[in-house]
Amino acid sequence: MKAVVLSVLVVLLAPVLQVAVVNGLSLPGGGPDVVLVAVIALAALLRPGAGAFLGFAAGLAADVAPPADHTIGRLALVMCLAGWVCARVTADGAAGRRAAVAAVVALGATLAGGVLAALLDGTPWGTALAPGAVAWTVGLAALVAAALALLPRRRSFGRVPRSRDGSRDRYGRGRRLA
Amino acid sequence: MRASGRRVPVLLALASAALIAADTVTPLEPLRAFGSAVFGGLEDAASAGVRWASGEHRVAELERENARLRADLLAARRTIPSPAQADGYRVVSAHVIGFGRDGTVTVDTGSDAGVTRDMTVFDGDGLVGRILRSGPGTATVQLATASGASIGARLEGSREVGLVTGVPEHGLLRLSLLNASAEVKPGDRVVTLGSRDMRPYVPDVPIGTVVTVEPAPDALTRTALVRPFARFTALDLVTVVLGPLPDAAAVDASAAESEAGSEAGGEAGGGDADAAKSGEKNQKKAKGA
Repeated sequence: MKAVVLSVLVVLLAPVLQVAVVNGLSLPGGGPDVVLVAVIALAALLRPGAGAFLGFAAGLAADVAPPADHTIGRLALVMCLAGWVCARVTADGAAGRRAAVAAVVALGATLAGGVLAALLDGTPWGTALAPGAVAWTVGLAALVAAALALLPRRRSFGRVPRSRDGSRDRYGRGRRLA
Repeated sequence: MRASGRRVPVLLALASAALIAADTVTPLEPLRAFGSAVFGGLEDAASAGVRWASGEHRVAELERENARLRADLLAARRTIPSPAQADGYRVVSAHVIGFGRDGTVTVDTGSDAGVTRDMTVFDGDGLVGRILRSGPGTATVQLATASGASIGARLEGSREVGLVTGVPEHGLLRLSLLNASAEVKPGDRVVTLGSRDMRPYVPDVPIGTVVTVEPAPDALTRTALVRPFARFTALDLVTVVLGPLPDAAAVDASAAESEAGSEAGGEAGGGDADAAKSGEKNQKKAKGA
């Protein structure tokens, strides 16, 4: 329930935060993609299917939230995969491991998004893969993932209860192996 | 188990690909309209919150800026010799409430205020861009520096005609003059050429100054890099041109009224030349008052 509420909040507020606050700050190098960071951070606490759905919804929201003028579905595709990968790969690991996973997923998603932007919308490669924006996103994703992992209640949060039992958790084994 | 775990992401990825394909074939305007209806209000609120948090002196600052804009507008009408400029425009002012990554911004005025696509947007410094689409309370503006933008332009001094396109990497614009032997030098001012029915661009809005003239290998056109007047990363208050006024006297009268607080009779000019003349008269009146 808590996870659903948080997911809805991310879908509704992250694109707004992005366009109304972060992009307006004119940070050096472009600023982070907070929608992607939010998806990565929250998907790590969800089951893979839910993570993928969260990514899809948030990406679609970022695709249609007003100033956007790119092909609809571009961010939905990238973030859906990012949410799914992040939910699958993130084990009950330490903060460092979670941060590393988040950073790698953020890097991959940003690069994939940049390539799609250049191919689908004719964005110049220099803008689509701006190193400053990539660095901001990767850094912030790692930071947020580490911070969430250090929160004491992460284990019981948004998961199937008794996840250690194995009998009720469909993804428990796969997750631990991954 | 594994297969069912993968079904959701695969379906969603396919749905995304289908959206991409559909949007490439026919633009999904209803979806964008839905987006602007849902997120427009939220952005408006968030941006208002940011503005409120950044200090109470904002109102005074904006009032000053507003006064400066009016003054600039009047000055521009007075100095530029083009007859089109003597006509007033029906305008609506708006705040920029969201910055996109696609060379676009959101403004907090929309179809409620009569804003529709292909209207000119400028601010106190110069041309900002044109309205790309409008929702109920917000509209999306394509900046002049966007990679897809192209604007008819001319050099203010020599009246040579050209095309301005965006060079988004460096925040610069590229001017391609149609006349390959045209004289152009750094420091020349570039203004809009103006379009039919004033859409998407009204004439003689300042765009920027030429910074470097590029060597022309093909010599078919003459190109130069232009630094825009508008600061696209720090946009705040902008003006959207809704259309021409029915007669020029009224706008000058209303400008005079609000500038000097004097009551100015709106004498309706007959023809275009008449309208320009009476506009001038009213401006003088405003100066006198």
